[in-house]
Amino acid sequence: MSTIQERDTFNAFHEYWDLENERQSETLQGMTLAVKDNIVTKTGTTTCGSKMLEGYKSPFNATVIDRLEDAGVVLVGKTNCDEFAMGSSTEHCAWGPVLNPWDRTRVPGGSSGGSAAAVAARLCQGALGSDTGGSIRQPAAFCGVVGYKPTYGLVSRYGLVAFASSLDQIGTFTTTVQDAANLVEIMAGFDELDSTCREEPAPALSKNLHDSIEGLRIGIPSQYTGSQNDPAINAAITSAINTYRELGATIIEIDLPLTEVGISTYYVLAPAECSSNLARYDGIRYGHRTDKPCKDLFELYSNTRAEGFGTEVKRRIMLGTYVLSSGYYDAYYNNALKTRRLICQEYHIAFEQCDVILGPTTPSVAFKIGEKADPLSMYLCDIYTANTNIAGICGISIPCGFSEAEGKQLPIGLHLQGSWYDDARLLRAAQMFQTATDFHTKVPECAQ
Amino acid sequence: MNTSLTTEEVRHIAKLSRLALTDGEIEKAKEDLSTIFEHISRLSELDTNGVEPLDHPTELQNRTRDDTVGEVLSQKQVLANAPAAKDVYFDVPKVLGGDT
Repeated sequence: MSTIQERDTFNAFHEYWDLENERQSETLQGMTLAVKDNIVTKTGTTTCGSKMLEGYKSPFNATVIDRLEDAGVVLVGKTNCDEFAMGSSTEHCAWGPVLNPWDRTRVPGGSSGGSAAAVAARLCQGALGSDTGGSIRQPAAFCGVVGYKPTYGLVSRYGLVAFASSLDQIGTFTTTVQDAANLVEIMAGFDELDSTCREEPAPALSKNLHDSIEGLRIGIPSQYTGSQNDPAINAAITSAINTYRELGATIIEIDLPLTEVGISTYYVLAPAECSSNLARYDGIRYGHRTDKPCKDLFELYSNTRAEGFGTEVKRRIMLGTYVLSSGYYDAYYNNALKTRRLICQEYHIAFEQCDVILGPTTPSVAFKIGEKADPLSMYLCDIYTANTNIAGICGISIPCGFSEAEGKQLPIGLHLQGSWYDDARLLRAAQMFQTATDFHTKVPECAQ
Repeated sequence: MNTSLTTEEVRHIAKLSRLALTDGEIEKAKEDLSTIFEHISRLSELDTNGVEPLDHPTELQNRTRDDTVGEVLSQKQVLANAPAAKDVYFDVPKVLGGDT
């Protein structure tokens, strides 16, 4: 059998490990798992797809890495991502763009594009990602795999290189909901090294996963369907709703009027937290340092950061710096925090009416490399996923159909969102769909 | 809300951000940031009067741990990733005399 490195013709990986132990297994013991390059590992390097951290070797493992290794999972390497997890296409990676295994002229989505492509091309059985505004679910949709973002606080963030700490969450890419449940069950649970981690014991996720939910109530927000979506996506969602109806679920129309303003809220909050978190890259203790002669500390910082960061990261640091600066703090940052509470309230009301919320993960299928050169058009990709993180609830994207373009089959993602710490029910609802359909068993030509 | 930025404003933001940008990068940033601010200024159309800001989804209060020494990194480990280190110190250029 050829190695992962030989089969990775998508630039999915930045580093390949442990090739002699590479093996496939039906159980968790020996399951092959790739790690997004913004989760620290003592093995190899952790670069966050940035020149700033080229060659950085972490002296410690992220909590999730220790827990997975203890459970016998085989880690196979680090996957490429948008620099510091900022992006929706994995084009903004210092080590080159990742290609979509379904069509190499298209992006895999982002920021966890390498992890999504690796699982889609069956280079490994699963992969870890991080999701701040859709960075697991959107690439999962574009690559036709399962992408699961647990409720905020369920899985320790210790060792996840911080982008926006109140939004970031580690999650998984797998081909089945079962594998997602198995992996997150191991990773979840209190960790004293993450002060935002939930203290209550983690819920059992894999137990009873295959028992269908009697009287499942599915909420369909009117804001999630319409002409902003590709027609093929609306058709796939209608068909998914029918599948659930046939399985006995009750379909309820709900209203989430703050869906659109979520993007504005997100692009204030995430850059604000990013500008603060990325202040640590100063060229003193680790990471890149400029070779240019500097007359003072200010020049040392400014040159180091200008050389080490890419365009998108610089843009977000500047956005965040501006919205936090005196005179603009109230109009932007504080106002976004108020909107954040309104978005949470909107979900609270919705989850009184329904158990899960259903819609498309993305308004379009995978786009062409270079197609979204304008940053705002890239940001709008997160329209259906950003509010999940703003509220801190759980969400999952599962394959639900295909759209044909230029003779290629492009996957479509079904997005289910669940209430706070209601992950077990979210996964059971997702499993009901996978039991009744076979979209998740389709693989791109390169993996056949 | 006027959302277009001037070149001087962008220079100021770059300075606060500790980013030494070229003139070309400043102009490009001006264009991109103005477009983005135009979009995100839609926030002000929403009535948020009397709404309490929410800075974190968990609304956790400070969580403290016992004040006991746990496992710590060795000095060697801490210095291993430094761009420059000398003996047991981070090696940095002379910084006194500057205005920052």
